[in-house]
Amino acid sequence: MDRELLIEIGVEEVPASWLPSLTTQLADVASAQLRAARLNVDGPVESWTTPRRLTVRVHRVAERQTDLEEVLNGPPVSAARGADGQFTPSAIGFARKNGVDPEALEEIDTPKGRYLAVRKRQRGKASVDALPDVMTGLLRGLAFPKSMNWDAWLDDGKGDFRFGRPVRWLLFLYGGRVVPYDIRRAESAQSPLVQDVRSGATTYGHRFLTTSGRAGRAVKVKTFDDYKARLLEHFVVLEREDRRERIARDLEVHAVRLGGRVHRAAAGQAGLLDEVPDLVEWPSVVAGVFPAEFLALPEEVLTTTMIHHQHYFPVVDDQGRLKAAFLAVTNVEVEKPELISRNSERVLTARLRDAQFFWNADRKVTLEDRIGRLDTILFHKKLGSYKAKAERVERLAEWIAREALAKPAEAASAAKAGRLAKADLGTDLVREFTELQGTMGGIYAREEGLPEAVWKAIYYHYLPVAVEPEAPPTRAQLGAGAICWAAVSIADKLDTLVGLFSAGERPTGSRDPYGLRRQAHGLFRTLVDLPDLTGLSVRPTVGALIAAVQRELPLDEVARTALTAFLAERLTYVLEQRGYDVRNVRAVLAGRPLGQISPLEARRMLEVLPEFTGTPEFQQLATAFKRVKNIASGELGPGPGAITTGPGPVSDPYSVLHEPAELALVAELTRRQPVIERVLDSGDHYRQAFAEAAAFGPFVDRFFADVFVMVEDPALRQARLHLMASLSRLILRLADISEIVPQSES
Amino acid sequence: MTFQDLIFKLQQFWAANGCLIQQPLDLEVGAGTSHPETLLRVLGPAHWNVAYVQPSRRPDDGRFGENPNRLFKHHQFQVILKPSPDEVQDLYLQSLEACGINPRQHDIRFEEDNWESPTLGAWGIGWQVLFDGLEITQFTYFQQVGGIDLSPIACEITYGLERIAMALQKVDNVYDLEWAPGVTYREVRLREEIEQSKYVFGHVDGVSGEEFATHHRDLFERHYVFGQKLLGSVLVWPALEECLKCSHLFNILDSSGSIGVTERTAYILRVRHLAVAIARAYYESIKPVEVEQA
Repeated sequence: MDRELLIEIGVEEVPASWLPSLTTQLADVASAQLRAARLNVDGPVESWTTPRRLTVRVHRVAERQTDLEEVLNGPPVSAARGADGQFTPSAIGFARKNGVDPEALEEIDTPKGRYLAVRKRQRGKASVDALPDVMTGLLRGLAFPKSMNWDAWLDDGKGDFRFGRPVRWLLFLYGGRVVPYDIRRAESAQSPLVQDVRSGATTYGHRFLTTSGRAGRAVKVKTFDDYKARLLEHFVVLEREDRRERIARDLEVHAVRLGGRVHRAAAGQAGLLDEVPDLVEWPSVVAGVFPAEFLALPEEVLTTTMIHHQHYFPVVDDQGRLKAAFLAVTNVEVEKPELISRNSERVLTARLRDAQFFWNADRKVTLEDRIGRLDTILFHKKLGSYKAKAERVERLAEWIAREALAKPAEAASAAKAGRLAKADLGTDLVREFTELQGTMGGIYAREEGLPEAVWKAIYYHYLPVAVEPEAPPTRAQLGAGAICWAAVSIADKLDTLVGLFSAGERPTGSRDPYGLRRQAHGLFRTLVDLPDLTGLSVRPTVGALIAAVQRELPLDEVARTALTAFLAERLTYVLEQRGYDVRNVRAVLAGRPLGQISPLEARRMLEVLPEFTGTPEFQQLATAFKRVKNIASGELGPGPGAITTGPGPVSDPYSVLHEPAELALVAELTRRQPVIERVLDSGDHYRQAFAEAAAFGPFVDRFFADVFVMVEDPALRQARLHLMASLSRLILRLADISEIVPQSES
Repeated sequence: MTFQDLIFKLQQFWAANGCLIQQPLDLEVGAGTSHPETLLRVLGPAHWNVAYVQPSRRPDDGRFGENPNRLFKHHQFQVILKPSPDEVQDLYLQSLEACGINPRQHDIRFEEDNWESPTLGAWGIGWQVLFDGLEITQFTYFQQVGGIDLSPIACEITYGLERIAMALQKVDNVYDLEWAPGVTYREVRLREEIEQSKYVFGHVDGVSGEEFATHHRDLFERHYVFGQKLLGSVLVWPALEECLKCSHLFNILDSSGSIGVTERTAYILRVRHLAVAIARAYYESIKPVEVEQA
């Protein structure tokens, strides 16, 4: 009979940010382990997490493992019997080794011929005997962002057992009965106060609200329903969604009582409301107030203090203005919530007073006067201080505004904003509120009376950090600062990327300590959306931008290669995230070296490419294009420059051609090449360029059907190779469309 | 509960739970972790439970006595439990109850906060303990010290005494704390805070910034070189003291703005180098004990 499996790993408080991933992992790892243990399950493998428990439940798990049938091959049949018809010693030895009579051996067919074989059936063990291995697999299989040594080991021969936090109890029930299991403790730590963790039928309630008052009262359970109900009695809400709903409801009630509503930054997606359910087992909300004088602080400082530092929800009035009040989610339910309110108010007020002190002190020194102090803040040991970076970014932002964005009138503002962008790193407020770097610089610049273009460029220069088109900053937010902002934002990110690669820093696997991937995403997002963000239609290439940075930060060959590969990968990622077909993205980026690519141009091509990829002509060309490329790549050196126009040139490279199919292709090339090139140079109407290119399809097809390229006659062969090379070069300026061939045909 | 009562209660509690009560290190340090009772004793196999108060100097936090929450010097109550008992969190909560905090009437949380000290080659996993939103304790399972893996793992509990006392006495300004019946923190410490802040920020009449920096750099060099010599003779305790003096001198140079960025990194590396060498020398010297036990 199938029975319920219930596992609860009782842990010391696990970081809230880990719980969403752990919830998924628990179910995935448990499923995989049950499968590996040949234990059939009926119904889903469910999982739950709170800061103190990781729970898995399977409605029904088979009572026994499925039997394992193995076929072991012995000697070939040809060597099984001697001339006398008796079994040979090797056949007898094989039978004996497997504990069967030679007569019981089977003959089976294998790719190598017919062999003697023995069929071994291993009867499945009772589940209660197989489940400990599932537990070991689960405990070892969970991945944590950071794991710790807590003097524990497991009996599986692998020894040391690291985990996210120490395990304090293990509820391990199958069909209501305890499955015996031990987490061992290191001999060096053994003492009366350090014991093995032994599985049991016991869970523990809320840390404080149950009567024993400490680790929570021990509660015996038999089934999952029982478990969940008893936890609720002991002040633990197991379902994360239930905790979230309770919190949202309580917040609403309290906000209304305060005459306002919860600030949107905290209530929205990925906001505080998504974080607090993972910090508590029994949520309730208390309200507090702070002195109204602090409302004179910048809103960003108030919300950061409340949301990021204290996990408090700010409250706003009907107009969206902050009220001098906050809501805190607690993990208890107390007789006198005002005690908690008063203490929370005291903590918040102290923090705001600090912020106010810094705010007043910081404004006594201008950003310009802070540049000198950046000399003491290290950017990177090989690249010097932030002062050096500020000076590089100043020059680079000036160049970007003037040349890359073709807005010389903005160059002076961009230079100034670039120079001051990091000056706030020397302010006390940013030292306390590191998440406000940039933002505070912008606010201080505004307070100093600097022009909108300058202060907004500073305020938003760390953005964008996300790649979606709607991610901040928006055109409306940027206002008159849009172009200046683009110059500074691009300059800062380029400087960081090129600088750190030149210093030998590379993101590897999950390690990216300098956040270079995010920097690259921000850079490409800006370049891809340049018209939407700034109203400009310029299309700077990656190569031109990198070349400009290299005047400040030279890259050696190794670093350049690594950076190019990294940037190509990141640009691919950004474009794929924008929803463009993976093959189209690859095609558009593969046509030319990264340096020649303009991210905006790539986007424009990707916008129209899907209109063509399905057409028969285009498919014809795509399929044939691989051949064109292969043949073309065999041609040595670039062709003469005179190939682009029709009749007239002294040495017409195609004069020896005579097959109708090749003459037709030459005619097509001669006719369409100027059109495609004009489009590419003007940077618009990519639809027309692709239409022109697609029209080559039937002609290329016919060429390959009728013409043999590698003929004996060197002049003729050279002319045909030349034709292929010209065609290949032209198409590659658009995209390497051989990447778009449907999977089955490529 | 006065400030001194809080100390008495914690000492009694931890003494009753098997801790030896040590005394503060009689040197300038930034935290109780620098005390050899922590820094050295957590290394190696010997079980060891100890508690002590440690006055802790943070030159950068000096505020001339004008800030109600920040101090040049504050007081930590430090507990080291090696190995860390299974019920260590409960023990900690009982200690709060012993100080008059009822965990059922407040919101007490263990929120992720790992600890790392690059200059000591040390790191650990743990939490900050929040009491109604106020951080009152740092709770750390040490993993490495001096680049050496710990076995068994030691647990460090560091109480911020001023903060806990302020919460218990419900005062908003640290100087309003009652240290002893009828005696305020202001009377005991304010003048010291003002004068120490002036000193570490270089507000010294007739002493130029350059002279200030030269004096402290010079002291750093002397202590550093001598510390290396002491270490050469495996005089671990005295060498550690020289190292801690260097660390403090570096903090003063840093807060007074006397050093630039490249130099700053170089100073940190030198302190780390010495601290790690000291930890290793100590660890090597206790190895025979380990062999004896095995």
